[in-house]
Amino acid sequence: MNVKLENDYSNHYIHSGIVPNTYISNIDNPLEGYPKLQKLKELKQKQIEKHQIPPFGCKVKPKDMPAVITNWCTEKNLQFDVVMIGALSTESVLPVLNQLPLAKLCAKPGFLFIWTTEKHILELSVFLNTKLNKKFRRSEELIFIPVNKNSNVFPEQTSDAVFQNQQWHCWMCITGTVRRSSDSHLIHCNVDTDLQFETSNSPVTSHIPDTIYKVAENFSNSNRRLHIIPYSMGYNLFVRSRPGWVIMSPDVLLDNFDPIKYESSLYSKSLINNKGNHVQYLVSQTQEIEELRPKSPNNSNR
Amino acid sequence: MLPVTYTLAFFFNMTEASGIWELEQFKPLVEFVLDKNDEVLGFPVLGDLETVFSMYQDRLTNTNHILKQMDFNNFQSYVNSFNDITGGSLELEQNGSQGKRVVHIEKVKIYLFQDRLNGAPLKHISFKTSTKFHPDEAQKPTEWLLKALAGELGSHIEISSETSVGAVELYANKTQLKQLLEKPSALVLLSRQRAKSITARKPFHEVCKNSTHAKVLSNIFVSIDKCYQSIEQSQKLFSKGIYECSKSKTHFLPIIHSNTDIGLGDCSYLDTCHKMKSCRYLHYFTLVPKSKKKVDVQAELAMVKKNIAKSEYTVGFCFNEFFKPQLPAQWIRCDIRKLPFSVLGKFAAIISDPAWDIHMSLPYGTCSDEELMELPMNQLQDEGVMLLWVTGRSIEIGRKALVKWGYKVSDEIIWVKLNQLQRTIVTGRTGHWLNHSKEHLLVGLKGDPSWMSRSVDTNVIVSATRETSRKPDEVYDLVERLVGPSARKLEIFGRDHNIRPGWFTIGNQLTGVNIHEREISEKYTKYQQSLKHN
Repeated sequence: MNVKLENDYSNHYIHSGIVPNTYISNIDNPLEGYPKLQKLKELKQKQIEKHQIPPFGCKVKPKDMPAVITNWCTEKNLQFDVVMIGALSTESVLPVLNQLPLAKLCAKPGFLFIWTTEKHILELSVFLNTKLNKKFRRSEELIFIPVNKNSNVFPEQTSDAVFQNQQWHCWMCITGTVRRSSDSHLIHCNVDTDLQFETSNSPVTSHIPDTIYKVAENFSNSNRRLHIIPYSMGYNLFVRSRPGWVIMSPDVLLDNFDPIKYESSLYSKSLINNKGNHVQYLVSQTQEIEELRPKSPNNSNR
Repeated sequence: MLPVTYTLAFFFNMTEASGIWELEQFKPLVEFVLDKNDEVLGFPVLGDLETVFSMYQDRLTNTNHILKQMDFNNFQSYVNSFNDITGGSLELEQNGSQGKRVVHIEKVKIYLFQDRLNGAPLKHISFKTSTKFHPDEAQKPTEWLLKALAGELGSHIEISSETSVGAVELYANKTQLKQLLEKPSALVLLSRQRAKSITARKPFHEVCKNSTHAKVLSNIFVSIDKCYQSIEQSQKLFSKGIYECSKSKTHFLPIIHSNTDIGLGDCSYLDTCHKMKSCRYLHYFTLVPKSKKKVDVQAELAMVKKNIAKSEYTVGFCFNEFFKPQLPAQWIRCDIRKLPFSVLGKFAAIISDPAWDIHMSLPYGTCSDEELMELPMNQLQDEGVMLLWVTGRSIEIGRKALVKWGYKVSDEIIWVKLNQLQRTIVTGRTGHWLNHSKEHLLVGLKGDPSWMSRSVDTNVIVSATRETSRKPDEVYDLVERLVGPSARKLEIFGRDHNIRPGWFTIGNQLTGVNIHEREISEKYTKYQQSLKHN
């Protein structure tokens, strides 16, 4: 009979003060034991790098963001397929989010990633249910867990909470129609998981953990990615630029965004797919990726 | 927090000690910082001290100041003295290898210093409160105390009439304030200490992180039944370090069958794989150490009982906690939609794991969202906590349901699901868009349960998966630490494996009825009789 290891990590925490996530075996290498998945992620990252536009930063004060974005949408005709809003901060994204022309900014199909804390979940739910209800569906809830109390990005403890808080939430919302069986040129499902950890080997020093950017990049094969951080991050966390992304923030280190330069590099770097009256800017995929990626069972069985 | 008078004392001490700078010499700096603080902190200076130094020098050109002669080193000590005198008005940070950087300027402190320099009188900010009892009036403190205590229960007693609060704001800089706010209160510290003393320690075996250990040990591995024996017998074949490690830590030994293809990697199902013999992926054997220092579960429980009895910290617990025996497990098999909840009485904590209709064929019946929302859950608690398991689509509905039942969603617990190897589950298409490595447990609060021991456990549970949809037992312990061991606790939609001492379980898949509380038993019998009559 194979015995089971029955460690009670919550019980151990009460006695030792060592948080349960410390004992997760694959925390440093989440793909340990799965060479196929490892290979898939390497290949995907290579394709993403091959197509990535240079990093763009856009330094804008939060109060000016709605005007700048509206200008992008109406004057410059800019659109993005992946839009991330917010970062590791207890500030609310809503004051700016409320004024953004999201439906115009985000293409269809498009993917929205919104960072939030427990404190703002309720009002954000209300927001999504009223304004965006018909357009954006809440599809996944990503969770990021810092290594322990000494982490740079350990979340704030709120007085009305019952338990000690260790989590950051990032919602993934989808607009438009994508099917995981037939739209593999647009999305690759089940490559990443909805749970990411900070490790003691690579502490987070920037506005969000890189792993969450990777989740977005691995999921959507689109090349148009925008990240809006509608508040100042303070002095402890940098807002670092990232190849393949346009990052808008009051304190991004790089301030080089120019719509014309951006569009021309998008054209030269992306796989252009003309679909009727709209154009898709994609990351090309290889045969090897197609063979390795997890697929829906309905494809082969039915 | 320092009183106002301290500001002056502090200030004179420091001037004497440093001795190098005359007070007057700080005047230009005060003006400079107050005038140029935006430029100093803003782009492109970003507080770089060397740049600030040259800015300061430029400013001094107009006057024929003695300070013009100082070099950068002098300037640094000048700034440090300034910082000492003003009580840390400039927040400095190491700027890589290039010296320091000003990251924040506490202007209030500088204004205060400017006032002192200009000889303005100390401002004494005070407020008056209505006085009922005044310590000075009562000549004898005991007499006063007795008088205060003899007052009606809950009557308001003002103790002091005048309090100076001026300095509180001045000295609370951001970092100090954050530290102060994040420091756990005495209530929390005591709760944690008590939780520790009344939680029975369970056996705990760390997993060995050295992969060569598992390889070496798997070489001498003959059969599962004789693994401990064979390790003892072949001790000499491997190093003492590995032998000792096998005695203290858990190892996962790869099982290689004739049809195992190592290149494929690990099986997604591992020890729950149904085709273990024919599966080409790798499986493992769990080698848990058979150590002599085993945690004695019985002794631990006895100790916990003793600890509860002698604990002097009783906040939030039942007054008779130390002699009250725990109630045995109770349960009622019923259709939850039909049972009148008034039969059950009130509970301090409720766990509910509804069979949400998630449009999947599951081996059990599901409830529709409407049916769940319509349950009279508002009857079960006057004040307390409800924990509701939700998945994907039902997170939203769960939140709505809690609000509808009169709760405020206060927390979200995450269950990080582990497999046999204590790794998170990263493969196997467990979610629609992304793989799911966790499940969510919403925490709703009703009323103001100030008696709960908050902030003891964390909102991340890390635990291995068991049968489909079976939730980790850790949750029960979390709840017991939160509301106390003898508080009434209810589980809704429970199954046979969910029943446990101290808990009342209801659900349609339980076996029979078992009630020990007399009042509940009587009410339930009455209810049954009423059913027969109708």
